[in-house]
Amino acid sequence: MTNLLSLVDVNLASAASFRPELALTFGTMAMFILDLFWKNHPARPARLATGALLVLGVAAALLVSQPTAPGSLFNGMIATDGFATFFKWLFLLAAGLTVLISAPGKDFPPARLGEFYALLMAMVLGLFLMASATDLLMVYLSIELVSLVSYVLAGFKKGDRRAAEASLKYVIYGGVASGVMLFGMSYLFGLLGTTSIGQLAGRIQHLQASGLPAAATKLTLVVAMVLITAGVGYKIAAVPWHMWCPDVYEGAPTPFTAFLSVGPKAAGFAVALRLFYGALSGPSAVTAGFGEAVGGLPWPAIIGVMSVATMTLGNLTALAQTNLKRLLAYSSIAHAGYLLMGLSAASDRGVQAIMIYLLIYVVMNLGSFLVVILVAEATGSESILDYRGLAKRHPLAATAFAVFLFSLTGIPPFAGFVGKWYLFVAVLDRVPGPGGNWYAVLAIIGALNSAVSLYYYVRVVRAMFIDQPYAEPRQAPATPLMYQLLLSASAVAVLVFGLWWTPMIDWTSASLQIFKG
Amino acid sequence: MNVTAEQVIFLAFAVPLVAAAIGVVVARSPMYAAMSLVGAFFCLAGVYVLLTAHLIAFLQILVYAGAVMVLFLFVIMLLSLGGEGQQLDRLKQLQWLGFVLGGGGLMALLAWISREVAGAEMAAVGPDFGTIKAVGRALFTTYLLPFEATSLLLTVAIVGAVVVAKEKI
Amino acid sequence: MVPVQWYLLLAAVLFGVGLVGVLIKRNALIVMMCIELMLNAANLTFLAFARQQGNIGGHAIAFFVIAVAAAEAAVGLAIVIAIYRTTGSVNVDDVRELREEG
Repeated sequence: MTNLLSLVDVNLASAASFRPELALTFGTMAMFILDLFWKNHPARPARLATGALLVLGVAAALLVSQPTAPGSLFNGMIATDGFATFFKWLFLLAAGLTVLISAPGKDFPPARLGEFYALLMAMVLGLFLMASATDLLMVYLSIELVSLVSYVLAGFKKGDRRAAEASLKYVIYGGVASGVMLFGMSYLFGLLGTTSIGQLAGRIQHLQASGLPAAATKLTLVVAMVLITAGVGYKIAAVPWHMWCPDVYEGAPTPFTAFLSVGPKAAGFAVALRLFYGALSGPSAVTAGFGEAVGGLPWPAIIGVMSVATMTLGNLTALAQTNLKRLLAYSSIAHAGYLLMGLSAASDRGVQAIMIYLLIYVVMNLGSFLVVILVAEATGSESILDYRGLAKRHPLAATAFAVFLFSLTGIPPFAGFVGKWYLFVAVLDRVPGPGGNWYAVLAIIGALNSAVSLYYYVRVVRAMFIDQPYAEPRQAPATPLMYQLLLSASAVAVLVFGLWWTPMIDWTSASLQIFKG
Repeated sequence: MNVTAEQVIFLAFAVPLVAAAIGVVVARSPMYAAMSLVGAFFCLAGVYVLLTAHLIAFLQILVYAGAVMVLFLFVIMLLSLGGEGQQLDRLKQLQWLGFVLGGGGLMALLAWISREVAGAEMAAVGPDFGTIKAVGRALFTTYLLPFEATSLLLTVAIVGAVVVAKEKI
Repeated sequence: MVPVQWYLLLAAVLFGVGLVGVLIKRNALIVMMCIELMLNAANLTFLAFARQQGNIGGHAIAFFVIAVAAAEAAVGLAIVIAIYRTTGSVNVDDVRELREEG
């Protein structure tokens, strides 16, 4: 009985470090209810957006005041550490920008805006839990929470064939991916007798010392890890689990596509980092690199192969796209590939590079989608033809889009370059060590891919600045002030942090503490 | 090898279970598939009892065979769906064959590793293993956070289902 | 006593049947039923290992999986209704508005 009581005490004590999540939970419920009260209010969108921002703001304030010491919460279910806090800020930033983008837009009719915001808050909570989960069960539940909301929001446009189709494809791919992941987890649970991520590496070593047949144990571990990777890879849209990505991105309402391209991807990387780098890498990870193997499984090499496949496929397919949303979808697949390079480096520097890159990626990708929304509202289409002559029609949007696209390519004065630089440095650091040649190959393929990506990004820039307009422009509606502000702010941020990156480096270095339990 | 009564009971549930599962896949009409699935869920509940998972067996019938399947049947009735009724062309057949072989290969792999790996005997468990009391204790102590997260997940799912399916805004 | 391998074998068969069903069936409803089969296979594995090790944690996990599967079925079926309204079909092959051009 005393044993039970101590567990209860841990749960009660954990609530103190769980306040941002509680704020989001109650915020979700409050948004559901307020939505009903303000049903016919004339200033409805503004009020709902303010409410959503308020919820995010309260969560942010509580996140600041939260104790910073790393520790385990709720009997090992989640952890509080600098790593999780960094990702939580990322999600709050992305969600805040998404709220601001969607408030004046036409993608969400005012009558349904409240449901969107409430579900978005629930999704942010799911992302928070993903970033801090230290138990496979929590990983599964938080991924499901994020996925369920995503299925609903992807099909948010009523009576729209593309939206309905996007959500159907999403729910089927997502259901299969989570089922496969769960099956992998069940084998891991059976083999190791625990679902706690922090204990996995120790149990694996213990298992190898025991009398079970070595080949079968190894094979089981490989199968279980491959199945689990399917679930995580589906969230970050890595090849071969990327098929849903372009269709869902195209069919979903654009502000949500923007959030989907940054939030779940970052959370998926947080889970992957905790699982592969935080738990599976032993002490030898500092030196071994590709040679690092847990249970005889060279996971950095496997991830390296995944990385190459993901970026190559993403970039080559993006070349042929004429719909901007699909182009950005394939570009986001390619970026998942670059980010996987950092994971495959299996070093603190690689982890830091991923964090820097994700931070920049949030701003530049949300900014790009904002331009897509702007053009779609003026012309009603997402085709690249409608971007011809944008520089004359809307100089601010065209300039900002050019900044974002060059930053996505990774060209020097822009912030994207800093992120890519750190990723490549993390990989090149591995070249003198064991398996160094393969790291060199990985870096070369990454560089080639960046060159390929320049081609399709520049195609858009050329359309905006050089090509003659495809059709005589209609009288474009006035751009909401909010969009102008957001565009300028994001573009300026991308420029400033491309030249003055020390704050990002300092912040990510300080956040590099992964709680290992 | 002596066949014990428990093994006979296991087979009495397992064989119809596999048959019903295959029935879900080969059925042409969603109605037959759904009925097969109900049968599969019942048989699986029987297997759970053999594993002394009383609470889960109970929930399996209540939630799966009860609530989830009623939902499926309701949607089938609502949309009045018939069979697939289309001929498979040759390419499709090859694709089928590939998928079935791939799935079979994976199944064989899983079967082999599960035979090799799980070497240990069944542990001796107390009389309250798998009862509501034992599982409830775990749920409200170690698994408190997942429990609360699940409650939020269910709320969101209900709202989400209404948002997606309702016709008027 | 039934050896634990029998249960694991049964789970592997269920998982394989579910996976094959997901790949070959074209009716979205049946695809979802096959996903349910896969989840049940995972549950059976969890329970078998929980029994083998006397670890009640497996039961708790199975409990959550059942709850999540019910939620997923509710959302999935709502989406099937939505797509039936807009396209008049629940066949995943008929649904191909979104794909590569050319």
